Amino acid sequence: MSAEQSKSVGSAISIKGVVKEFTRGGQTLRVLNSLDLEVPEGSFEALMGPSGSGKSTLLNLIAGLDKPTSGEITVAGARLDRMSDAEITSWRAANVGIVFQSYNLLPVLTALENVELPLLLHKMTSAERKKRAQIALEIVGLSDRMGHYPRMLSGGQEQRVAIARAIVNDPKVIIGDEPTGDLDRNSADEILKLFEQLNRELGKTIIMVTHDPEAAERATVIRRLNKGVLA
Amino acid sequence: MNLPGLAVRNIYRNPVRLALTVAGVAVALLTFVTLRTAVMSWDEAKNYTLKDRLVTRHKITFVMDLPKNYADDVRDLKGADGKPLIRASTFLNWFGGKDPAHENDFFATIAADHNTFLTVYDEIKIPDDQLKAFNETRNGAVVGDLLATKFNWKVGDNITLESPIYGLRENGEPWTFKIVGLYSTTSKAVDRQTFYFRWDYMNDGVRAEAKDRVGWIASRSVDAAHAAEVTAAIDKRFDDADTQTLTQDEASFFQGFMGMVSSVLAIMSYLSYIILAILGLILANAISMSVRERTNEYASMKAIGFHAKTLASLILTESTLIALAGAIPGVILSYLIVDVALGDFLEYNLANFFPVFRVKIWTYAEAVAAATVIGLFAGIVPALTVARLNVVENLRRVA
Repeated sequence: MSAEQSKSVGSAISIKGVVKEFTRGGQTLRVLNSLDLEVPEGSFEALMGPSGSGKSTLLNLIAGLDKPTSGEITVAGARLDRMSDAEITSWRAANVGIVFQSYNLLPVLTALENVELPLLLHKMTSAERKKRAQIALEIVGLSDRMGHYPRMLSGGQEQRVAIARAIVNDPKVIIGDEPTGDLDRNSADEILKLFEQLNRELGKTIIMVTHDPEAAERATVIRRLNKGVLA
Repeated sequence: MNLPGLAVRNIYRNPVRLALTVAGVAVALLTFVTLRTAVMSWDEAKNYTLKDRLVTRHKITFVMDLPKNYADDVRDLKGADGKPLIRASTFLNWFGGKDPAHENDFFATIAADHNTFLTVYDEIKIPDDQLKAFNETRNGAVVGDLLATKFNWKVGDNITLESPIYGLRENGEPWTFKIVGLYSTTSKAVDRQTFYFRWDYMNDGVRAEAKDRVGWIASRSVDAAHAAEVTAAIDKRFDDADTQTLTQDEASFFQGFMGMVSSVLAIMSYLSYIILAILGLILANAISMSVRERTNEYASMKAIGFHAKTLASLILTESTLIALAGAIPGVILSYLIVDVALGDFLEYNLANFFPVFRVKIWTYAEAVAAATVIGLFAGIVPALTVARLNVVENLRRVA
């Protein structure tokens, strides 16, 4: 499916009137305030904002890692606010790929095995899992590092393994939480190129939180969040 | 790669901790197996006793003696149909002798009626010529082959023993015995380290008030199937006498005689289960530490789509595998230390307490099963912790 085709289908992410409140020390803190957001399928968006603006909270809601206090969240056609924890977990395994700032690879597994990890949640043969993981690693340009453990890889390479892990299930949406935050400029560029490639060639919808204006510039849309409201 | 494979990889993350945990489990299981074997071996001792062999003692306590003529009454006891109830009987006294040359070595010294002793204890085997010498030598003694080996005693040796019960002989002389024979046995119920000597020699030497008194009467009932009725009949025979008796089968008498040891063994039985509790704590601590260090990994796995129950299963698998990894060396150590080394030593030196001191296959199975179950339980709290893990909170902590 090309990016153009996917874009014509509709919203990958639809958020309507979402409120998210946290209670800390007996006080209720409203982090997202009646937030609306539409992210079309196949877009590559950057979410920026000062610390405490609510961007990570928003990302967690989109990824189904957290639930809104009120409002509607639809991602990849599923109403997350109506789903149980177990349903969201299963949904996440099939529909969302998450790339963390600190990679979060398992140190006891090789690059190939780390990428295979999400596939353990699906019914497929070991050979099929391995083949799909190899393809994902080839996409991120690490076909020569498949047997390497995370400690043998550079930060950029680790993040590319994490991206391979995020796309191995062929998810509709990829979520990046400061994916270049721990990387030097060159490594960050490589990761951003990879995101552009995944968006352009595979039609993945990508939403990425970043503090880095240069990284944000690589996205097709930049959204700014301030005090729980999109500017 | 699969989930059990991942559990195995996780186990090997910290080799030092793994080695210490495995060693802890192995030592705990070794202790458990040792205690269980001691308790079971003790219980087993009674299996080697004879059901038709009865022991009659003073009703109040084993320490008090009986008139010697009771032995005749027991031997002549007849049933309601006039048929004999007893086919053989003898009488014995605990002498409590000690060899001054081996002050710290305990061995049983028993005065036995040489005319009837072997009719009741027919598992004791004495060569004919030595038995003849025993019958002809008033201060003759026959000693267990193991005791003779231990003290390097030979037939023909003269041995002087001291008795805290009887003191010196009535004439002021010491108790001197001549070893005229060495006995062996065909049954594990009979200790091979006892010093038997003639009862008449003892009776000659004791004070006037102790003469013609016996410590206990051992008899064999005609019909083992009716031994319980015979014990009742014996005690009933002396119901109206000044001294009443308590008759038991050999197993009950043996256990009563060693009552103090039984209490110790009961404590050992409890201790064996306390050891298992300690084992659980060792495992729970190791698993908890290991899981706590990997909280962020579990959070990211949850974020990827792993269900809480899958992660909990992963942790339970891990804790069970660690327990089993400790159980295997634990069983091997138990075999080498308890079954081989300790078993040989105790069967040789304490045969009457532990006739067979070997680890039963059931005990090994019990140890491995206990380790497995405890391993599973040890993982429950960490598994629940991970299952309830808040992904957002923990991922934020990492970032």
